[in-house]
Amino acid sequence: MINELMIIIFAPLLAGVLAWLLDIKGIREAIGVIGAAIPLAYLIQAYQTLSTQPSIQYSIALAGFKFEFLLYQINWIFAMIAGVVGFAAVLGMVSTAKDSYEWLFALISLTGVLGVFLADDLAGFFIFWEVMTFASFMMVLKYNRKASLKYFLLSVFGAYAMLIAIGIIYAKVGALDFATIQQVLYQDAMRGAFGTDTLFSRNEMILVFGLFLIAFGVKAGMFPLHVWAPDAYSETNQSYTAMFSGVLSKAGVYGMLVIYILLGTRLMYEFGKFGAAPKFGYIIALLGGLTIIVGGLLAALQEDIRKLFAYSSISQIGYILVGIGVGTALSIEAAIYHAVSHALFKGLFFLIVATIIYRTGKTEFKDMGGLAEKMPITFAMAFVAILSLAGIPPLVGFASKWLLFEAVIHENMPILGGMIFFGSAIGFVYLIRFTYAVWFGQRPTDLDDTKDAPLPLAIAMGILALLNVVFGIAPGLVAKELNKIFGKEVIGGTIYELNLGFGRYNGLLITIWLVVGLVIAAIIYFLGAKVRKVPVTDTYQAGNPVTMEYNLTIRRNFFLPLKETLAFWLRISFDRLYQDIGKWIEDLAETMRHYIYNGSVQAYAWYLAIVLLILALWGV
Amino acid sequence: MVDWRLFEPLFEFARKRSLWIVAFCTGCGGIEMPPLMTSRYDLERFGMMPNPAPRMADLFLITGYVTPKTLKRIIITYEMQPDPKYVLAHGSCPLNGGIYWDAYNAIKHLDRYIPVDVVIAGCMPRPEAVMDGIKKLMEMIENGTADGWKRYRENYEWYKKNQDELFGEGWREREARRWIPWLMDKKKKEK
Amino acid sequence: MLMIAVKAFLILLYATFMGFMFMGIIRIVTARIHRRVGPPIYQPILDTIKLLSKKSNITHGLIYDFGVIYALGATILALMFIPLGGVSILRAYGDLILITFLLEIPMLGIMFAAMSSGNPWAGLGAQRALLTLLAIQVPLGFAIVALAEFYGTFSTYEIVMAQQTVGWSITHLPLLLAAIAYDIVLQAMFGKEPFDIMIAPGEISLGPMVEFGGKHMGILQIQHAIALFAETLFFSNIFLGGAVVTAFASPILNTIASLAVLLIKQLAVLMIAIFIGVIFPRFTIDQAARFYWKWPTIIAAAGAILAAL
Repeated sequence: MINELMIIIFAPLLAGVLAWLLDIKGIREAIGVIGAAIPLAYLIQAYQTLSTQPSIQYSIALAGFKFEFLLYQINWIFAMIAGVVGFAAVLGMVSTAKDSYEWLFALISLTGVLGVFLADDLAGFFIFWEVMTFASFMMVLKYNRKASLKYFLLSVFGAYAMLIAIGIIYAKVGALDFATIQQVLYQDAMRGAFGTDTLFSRNEMILVFGLFLIAFGVKAGMFPLHVWAPDAYSETNQSYTAMFSGVLSKAGVYGMLVIYILLGTRLMYEFGKFGAAPKFGYIIALLGGLTIIVGGLLAALQEDIRKLFAYSSISQIGYILVGIGVGTALSIEAAIYHAVSHALFKGLFFLIVATIIYRTGKTEFKDMGGLAEKMPITFAMAFVAILSLAGIPPLVGFASKWLLFEAVIHENMPILGGMIFFGSAIGFVYLIRFTYAVWFGQRPTDLDDTKDAPLPLAIAMGILALLNVVFGIAPGLVAKELNKIFGKEVIGGTIYELNLGFGRYNGLLITIWLVVGLVIAAIIYFLGAKVRKVPVTDTYQAGNPVTMEYNLTIRRNFFLPLKETLAFWLRISFDRLYQDIGKWIEDLAETMRHYIYNGSVQAYAWYLAIVLLILALWGV
Repeated sequence: MVDWRLFEPLFEFARKRSLWIVAFCTGCGGIEMPPLMTSRYDLERFGMMPNPAPRMADLFLITGYVTPKTLKRIIITYEMQPDPKYVLAHGSCPLNGGIYWDAYNAIKHLDRYIPVDVVIAGCMPRPEAVMDGIKKLMEMIENGTADGWKRYRENYEWYKKNQDELFGEGWREREARRWIPWLMDKKKKEK
Repeated sequence: MLMIAVKAFLILLYATFMGFMFMGIIRIVTARIHRRVGPPIYQPILDTIKLLSKKSNITHGLIYDFGVIYALGATILALMFIPLGGVSILRAYGDLILITFLLEIPMLGIMFAAMSSGNPWAGLGAQRALLTLLAIQVPLGFAIVALAEFYGTFSTYEIVMAQQTVGWSITHLPLLLAAIAYDIVLQAMFGKEPFDIMIAPGEISLGPMVEFGGKHMGILQIQHAIALFAETLFFSNIFLGGAVVTAFASPILNTIASLAVLLIKQLAVLMIAIFIGVIFPRFTIDQAARFYWKWPTIIAAAGAILAAL
């Protein structure tokens, strides 16, 4: 009965319930951390097993359903993301979680996401999906009702879409486990290729694909379904957001991969190809490209540190979608690589945000500044994270972005290529805004006694920052695991080198030469005369003397010219569109309530009579 | 760390031939700068360049009369420049008050407040005269007599005393705070 | 190992020297267009010596120093990856995307240093620099995409070799379009008018550079020289055919000849930038963004799409 997969999935749930029941400060934290550490330990152990056998399988019969669980290379990678980032986030929560309520739901959502990754049939997939959504909804609900409702509505919308799609598949195929569905659809595609009648019609395929796209797009935060993400990501415990954004959004990405695994061949047969990419994939990629641009531009214009990173998270997910959409072996590997690095640097970023908010209690850029001197450790971590997200070699963000660039451009996709280039620049832009407003410049006097990160958060950040550096210098470590997915050497090279045949990247070499360059520069620097430290008030203000009462930093509307340039586009808002639709539905319901459901028994009796009359006339 | 005395002549040559000017025109003589910089007299021949930021500038041109209000800015900007730095006073007014010799609101002797290396007399000096002054300054840099920055450092107490006598002690902070109510008022209006 | 070190040192020396000469040429040519005499060509070297020999320096903290060092270090790193005739050491790894990124990193270092000073001008300059970066990235991206798609490889060295057989990149229509767009982008990368919005002397007091003085500015001058060399070199390599001279028997002569060929091409690129720069006034930042997102983007995208067909 007790299987390692079950332990991986249910250990966090158990720990969460225990922590909630005991609710003793100190003990609940310990239980929570252990609950997050157990899946990680078992997953690392499973690596050994997976090197000898292709997969680990387990099935459980419950209430007439047979739930299948399977651990193999792809979802091992995703589960490892969940394990590592989840563990780091839970460590961060030791400092920031306020009560046992948060422990319960944070750990339940970890269970949910692990279940989604490991499930091998659509029923289990759907149930864990709902568990994950519900738990994360509860986490948001505690902080902000409105944001949580928005999240809930869109999630429910997505969940229904998925349920309908699953229903259609079940009705046609008669099974829910992945293996059967994959096989049946593959045979269906073959049948179509030979000209005989297919099981699914063209419209049904469009419907199923569209529904799945909505379901997974909502979770991944794909444009134009991203509107819940900025509110939900920002209005919750920021340590938890490290998991929320780093791992839970990956469930959506994993879902897109599931589309490929289950429906890939059939969809490819039905719609054909666009260049090297399947047409259905190109839709995902194009939406991903739009997600990059929209998310990035909006991130640059935010005034709230949490919102900035929420939008940035959306933008980065766009890269992953582009990679998955292009659909060659290389681009899918690149996308998964970027999923790994996104989880690492975005998890790190949200932990940094958690630290800043925990220590200062402020969330808006206008209240911050000059914290680099007061929080050197956190700043060092932020430095790593910034370089990684901006795609500066030799950090993991560059390795994955580089792969993605090469994969997309090599397939002759100029539009997508332009989009991802734009995305990398907009990354610089919003990161510098964060750096400038939080770490540098004039420090408001009320932040003068800010302390550095508490120990658990520092450890959690340290783990993620270390992985950022290690996987950047030795990108082959990840690439080796990714190659196992396809069972062939898609990304060649050694542990330090990625070699695609048409492009090479060597992390170690770059590190060495960067160090050489830095040493040369440092020699020139140290040959010069000694430096004297001057305060921020001793800067050139056209000769005017200033004191700390003056505002020397651009605190609000940092990218005002950008806003002006984009004024026309910024008027278009999907958030407002959805709100208007919501309001319209509300109005409709109001009208209906007024005229039809008016609460009068007599009226209801009349309705009944009319219905009966119609049925009678119909001849039932 | 390294003994650079051997290279001192090279440095002096570089300093001489690469005087960057603070583009901070303090008086009416600023009008003489455009012909100096442009094609008629072309100061860039000598490697001189107007430079908006004092941190990387060497030469401070005091172009004309100095009032207490500008003197405050001059002192602050002068102190911001890294050593070695040179001051070239331009016109009679900074030298002895010039036509403002009895004005209540002009500084008569600039060299009581900051050290001046070269003074060019005249009201206004023609660009040729200014170039002559610059030539003189270059010679002085070469033979090491343009040591105003050294004098300022050594006799800082004296300069400080003179400055404080004129403006009163703590004038920097007072000057800075003077504008805060005005800024606050402006902020309120914007709202 | 020793050979590599010697080569790297020579490349660095050559690039720095030539970069300074380029800076001098910019000043002289600008002066001549103004009908002035202009400074001697070695003027930037004198400036740098003067800045480095300043007797007092200021700092605004660790990041202020590190940002400057990082900028120079990253520029040296970028230089090593660009093929330079027959002598470059890391050209096997000279990936288009990598070099494009590496040429942008130094600016990040400068921005970090500038922003950590807390000067409002520097903040404003950083904002403008980033928006310029954002504006140029779209045409730049399309130009790079066009190149990669046309040649089917990302290796700069292979692109140079391919051009020896199929002719210069700019003789092919898609890449000609890409080259035009890239050249307009180069104007902003050099920080020349009409896109010197980030520096804007007289308007925002040199923007990010306002607080740098003494040795910090000296290091940035060296960085600017190397970056100028690297950027023109990159352009000459990918669009103007680079230089592979095999006419002589001695490899040293070949190297010198190819360096000379490259130098001529680099100077041509530089001259275009100077001529455009001298006759144009400055854009405002939103005008620049709109401009870059319109014409260069359309040209480069047309090139990329043509190359993909």
